[in-house]
Amino acid sequence: MAKTKRPPLTPESQLPLAPATFHILLALVGGERHGYSIMKEVTSRTEGAVRMGPGTLYGALKRLLEGGLVEEGSERADAELGDDRRRYYRLTKFGLRVARMEARRLEAMVRAARQKKLIAMEPA
Amino acid sequence: MTAERVYRLLLRVYPSDFRSEYGREMTLLFRDEYRMRDATALAFWASMVWDAAHSAMSMWVDVWLARGKEYTRTFEVIMKLAGTLAVLFGAFGALNALAEAMAAMRGTLEGAPLLAIVLGVAAAALLITAGTALLRSTLSGRNTATIALVASLVIILIARLTHPWMSILSQLIGIGLPVVLLAALHWPRRHDHPSSAAA
Repeated sequence: MAKTKRPPLTPESQLPLAPATFHILLALVGGERHGYSIMKEVTSRTEGAVRMGPGTLYGALKRLLEGGLVEEGSERADAELGDDRRRYYRLTKFGLRVARMEARRLEAMVRAARQKKLIAMEPA
Repeated sequence: MTAERVYRLLLRVYPSDFRSEYGREMTLLFRDEYRMRDATALAFWASMVWDAAHSAMSMWVDVWLARGKEYTRTFEVIMKLAGTLAVLFGAFGALNALAEAMAAMRGTLEGAPLLAIVLGVAAAALLITAGTALLRSTLSGRNTATIALVASLVIILIARLTHPWMSILSQLIGIGLPVVLLAALHWPRRHDHPSSAAA
């Protein structure tokens, strides 16, 4: 019941990231994007293996905004999609650090899997 | 557009805060997806319903967790007020018992009233201890408060038996306050903050 000070967020405290979250951060590494653009980028990068619906995408974005990993950019229309103004999202410096650490973590896991010949054992 | 209307209805499964913040963006995204869809209408709608069902569930869990924390904060404030009240009433009770003792010293002090005064002072001191422990807001403080409140209650009941003409106000404070505080301390709560258990 004692008044607890919320500890400052560290990149380590955010790991491991949920797959959907990491995909969103990866999509934003190249620059700011609106929701549909993030969704398209994730689908094309994963060749359709990962498809995020609006609820999953905006639920994850909400958490990323609250965690300070992503921030809102400007609100403007996308000429390709019509006149409706869309909210754009971009990575923060903190979000970029978290994404880098997650990538390193995954890389280390893949390296360990290779050493154990797990990947080599998989059919090509 | 009918599909968009149906999707807006589907958005009602989300908590209202989330809907008002992201509902418009989600509808725009749905519109784009619907226009560019590469699946049959049935498969497309199945994926939308599935997405809404599982993402709304996690949103509601977040809302309930936040409410639980809010409830715990409210409970902490109430217990602080109760602690302050217990200290004040304890001090009042102790002063009152001492005043009675002073008055009694002027006359002949019989056995029973003297015992009642001593018990009254002890019960008041325990009430102060309980109040101070509640103000510490830790698990050990909570345990100390429980012991002090039970002891105070037992002592005041003995005082009531040895001193049947105890005033209604004294009985209300001496018996009612510990009972209410004990009930508040040990009433099953919907959410216990982990920090309180760790303290």
